[in-house]
Amino acid sequence: MTFDDWLPLLVVLSSLITGLLIFFVGEEQHRTRSWLNLIGAVAKLVLVGIMVWGVFQRHRYETRLPLLPDQDFVLRADAMGMLFVGLSSVLWLLTTIYAIGYLEGSPHRSRFFGFFSLCVTSTMGIALAGDLITFIIFYELLTLSTYPLVVHRGTADALRAGKVYLQYTMTGGALLLVGVVWLYEVVGSVEFTERGVLAGVSVVDYPDLLAIFAILVAGLGVKTALVPLHGWLPVAMVAPAPVSALLHAVAVVKAGAFGIVRIAYDVYGVEFAARLGVLGPLSWVAGITIVYGSVRALTQDDLKRRLAYSTVSQVSYIVLGIGILGPLATIGGVVHLVHQGLMKITLFFCAGDLAETLGIHKISEMNGVGRRMPWSMVAFTVAALGMIGVPPVAGFVTKWYLGLGAIAAKDYWALAVLAVSTVLNAAYFLPVLRRIWFLPASGEWPKRERDQLETRPTLLVPTLITALLSLAAGLFAGSWFSPLGWAKLVTAREYVS
Amino acid sequence: MSTSWLVAAALLAPSLLAIALFMASGRSPTWPIAPWAALPGLVLAAAPDFRIDLSWLLLGTRLGLDATGRMFLIFTALLWLIAGLYAQVYLASDSKRRRFGGFFLSTMTGNLGVILAQDVASFYLFFSLMTFSAYGLIVHEGGEEPHRAGRIYLILAILGEAMLLVAFLLSASAAESLFLDQIPKAVAVSPQRNLIVALFLGGFGIKVGVLVLHVWLPLAHPVAPTPASAVLSGVIIKAGLLGWLRFLPLGQAALPDWGYGLTAAGLAAAFYGAGVGLVQKDSKTVLAYSSISQMGLITVPVGLGLAAPAGWPSCLAAVTVYAVHHALAKGALFLGVGVARETARDERKLRWITAGLLLPALALAGAPFTSGALAKESLKRAIGSVPEPSQDWLAWTLSFAAVGTTLLLVRLLYLVRHEALTESHGSGSRGLGLTWGLALLGVFALTWIMFADAARAFFELALEPGILWSELWPVGGGILLAYLFGRRFARSAPPIPAGDLLVPAERLALSAWTGMKSLWNKAVRKPARPPWKTLGARLAQGLAYGQAWLESMAIAGILFLLLIVLFALALLPKNFGRE
Repeated sequence: MTFDDWLPLLVVLSSLITGLLIFFVGEEQHRTRSWLNLIGAVAKLVLVGIMVWGVFQRHRYETRLPLLPDQDFVLRADAMGMLFVGLSSVLWLLTTIYAIGYLEGSPHRSRFFGFFSLCVTSTMGIALAGDLITFIIFYELLTLSTYPLVVHRGTADALRAGKVYLQYTMTGGALLLVGVVWLYEVVGSVEFTERGVLAGVSVVDYPDLLAIFAILVAGLGVKTALVPLHGWLPVAMVAPAPVSALLHAVAVVKAGAFGIVRIAYDVYGVEFAARLGVLGPLSWVAGITIVYGSVRALTQDDLKRRLAYSTVSQVSYIVLGIGILGPLATIGGVVHLVHQGLMKITLFFCAGDLAETLGIHKISEMNGVGRRMPWSMVAFTVAALGMIGVPPVAGFVTKWYLGLGAIAAKDYWALAVLAVSTVLNAAYFLPVLRRIWFLPASGEWPKRERDQLETRPTLLVPTLITALLSLAAGLFAGSWFSPLGWAKLVTAREYVS
Repeated sequence: MSTSWLVAAALLAPSLLAIALFMASGRSPTWPIAPWAALPGLVLAAAPDFRIDLSWLLLGTRLGLDATGRMFLIFTALLWLIAGLYAQVYLASDSKRRRFGGFFLSTMTGNLGVILAQDVASFYLFFSLMTFSAYGLIVHEGGEEPHRAGRIYLILAILGEAMLLVAFLLSASAAESLFLDQIPKAVAVSPQRNLIVALFLGGFGIKVGVLVLHVWLPLAHPVAPTPASAVLSGVIIKAGLLGWLRFLPLGQAALPDWGYGLTAAGLAAAFYGAGVGLVQKDSKTVLAYSSISQMGLITVPVGLGLAAPAGWPSCLAAVTVYAVHHALAKGALFLGVGVARETARDERKLRWITAGLLLPALALAGAPFTSGALAKESLKRAIGSVPEPSQDWLAWTLSFAAVGTTLLLVRLLYLVRHEALTESHGSGSRGLGLTWGLALLGVFALTWIMFADAARAFFELALEPGILWSELWPVGGGILLAYLFGRRFARSAPPIPAGDLLVPAERLALSAWTGMKSLWNKAVRKPARPPWKTLGARLAQGLAYGQAWLESMAIAGILFLLLIVLFALALLPKNFGRE
């Protein structure tokens, strides 16, 4: 076996080993722990960089190890997976830096960072999994490794949230397993293949395939937070800010959405799925989720809770992009995988900055905070405008392609959903921006010395970088190295002709 | 290439300076040079036609300048430059002036960019930049009124953005291209033509102040600091007009229903704006209503062109001449009102200021030998495209509108004098008057320079008695009417608050809430609370119950049940069946 055959495994191992090592680092050895974390994250980034370049040039990376009789453990790098891998590895590095700053001086940090690394390991595995069984292994591992993060604070609220989280996700995971087993019974072993593998199945099995699709989506829909399976998400926002950031931006909700992408594109094949008639209902569920999440976000005063409902709404853009047939909608959905991640992680970082620096948790306490923490709030503003879909921030590009896709597929109702969602997003973000920038300060905040940063640099720098990335992703969307460029590459490989 | 550098300077100079101003603390060198950020844009207007493609930017950006764009660029950049210089004096002692400067320049970047954009995405980018930055100008003074104006502005702006997003998507889809030169053709033959046209008329109509969508305008334009009012009413309002010119299938397809409907709406706005403006008590509000009225007149040739494509070239000429003329005249009037409020100390000084105000006022009314007369003349030429019997009727209507404009401006001069004598603190510096002088010079000369050929033809006929009379009587009539009935009218006129239709709409909404509240109270006997809160609370409560149910075991339980059933199913039939 050559280096190329090991590369996908190395990417997964880079965080796994980091995580395992960290468990053995003493609680007081911040320095060692931080270095371990950073070395792991940077090493991963380098490996991923090599792989991205290779995949771009149609190079094949695959790790295949025997797992069971007739069943391999397959890790493979394809264009779709690399989009998710790239996003996760960049955001892992930034979130690690952020978390080091955020948890400074709080207890149980070795436990935290250990599971944090395991969580990223699972995400990587999900992104690189080459078949459904490998996917499920990592998908379940993700559930288990995020639970300790959600309950990290150990308060009654946190424990309750953890319970709800487990009930939902374990059941969802089990459902997924049922779907996969059934699928294996119908067609045998299924590896992810661009343009799908089921197109040749006999018509007799169509009812089975329909039911399997519904079960798989229901199982994955829990993590994706599709209404009405989203109940755990607003509860789970009691977790520390870096966890929420990672949960909402890359790890959990994205794992679900990515799973649905895999099922629709690389198992069923999008054209076959359309023939089967499952895409329509999927897009309606997405449409309902988009509007419901936004409406619920309107009335939340707790900042993180409002952001959580916003996630419910925004992640379904990805599902909407899958549900509408046609390359343009696919581009919109796939690229939102990255765009939503960048914007939402920025917003949660900002929420964490506010909580850590000034003790602000509620939107009604944010009056005039722009003058006290200008940089964080600029980042917040950029991300919020992006969520509304104001150009040139990334969200606009998503909306544009989803809209074009909806028109091409003659799904005009989806246009209405986009318009309504724009208005609702504006209705729950713009009042916050007005508070930040135009109202006089009302809170009693710790004074800031001259020549002192508004908050710790470890908190501020990642926030600014993600804000800048969400801006750049939209502003330079036309260039080949943008998420949009990559999404176009993915899409070109998912459609025949 | 020197043009590319100039384009970069025109857009980057104001945006970078805006950022610098937002970030500046204490004494900063950016404030003195800020107004000059408009200069590269103005110079660019002298460059030959060009087109620059930046495929890596946004969704593939194309910037360029065509004949229409050039006209818009000249007056837009010029008014921004003058207003900027004016603002420097006007806000010299304002503690929040750097924030104002930042919003001022970012709004300007958007406004200039809208003119240069030749593809949908960058047009949308610059349009949104302008829209959202202008909020900062409107609420600058702080307090209850700017807050209300800003809120209503934002609500309408967001609705407009949503409408435009859908319209952009539909039209770009129809054209299979993002480039603006492809879009009107494609819209003309699109099966969704009616929807697209409606969305564009509405989306841009909010900026233009089309009737019913105009309600934000008389609230927002007056509460902003004077230089901001000048650009809001002078040029930002024209960005909506430019949007129409860029996206509507003008000269491509005959849409008589939409076209004549728009014409009628324009005429209605012309009279409605004048009528409601007459009873206003604040000079800047009067000017805002005058803008609604004048934009109504500009809408007329747009509507005619939409109805009859053959007449579009003459209509386009009328639109551009009128836009240039109105931008400068309205800008000069706003700035002049500011001068009067800030510096008029005594009668003598006030007389000079009134004389200065008279020039743009007469121009706006269309008095002979002014740019207004040229604009009216080209408007009359545009009417040539409608069927014969309506032409006369339309010409008369326009003349009556001019009577209305004259009355409105007499009211304005009366109010300015009144305000200056009662409210002026007379503390403003000389610089304010100087920059205002620049604006006046623009009113006097620019339109003639820009439309030299049309002007020459115009002057050859200007002394003909028939034409002279047709220009003179509406102005003279208006002044006469004001002289005869002005005082009585001022005493007995019904008070209509600024924002006209909005006020009953707000009141209606409120009384509807109140009615609902009393019904509600009768039904449930709850302690009285603000009605909207009760309803909102109820709604939120209902949703919260639902949410709590979702957060409980319920859904997880159902999923679990499903799981068991599925396992049972998976075990039972197939295995037995196969044996």
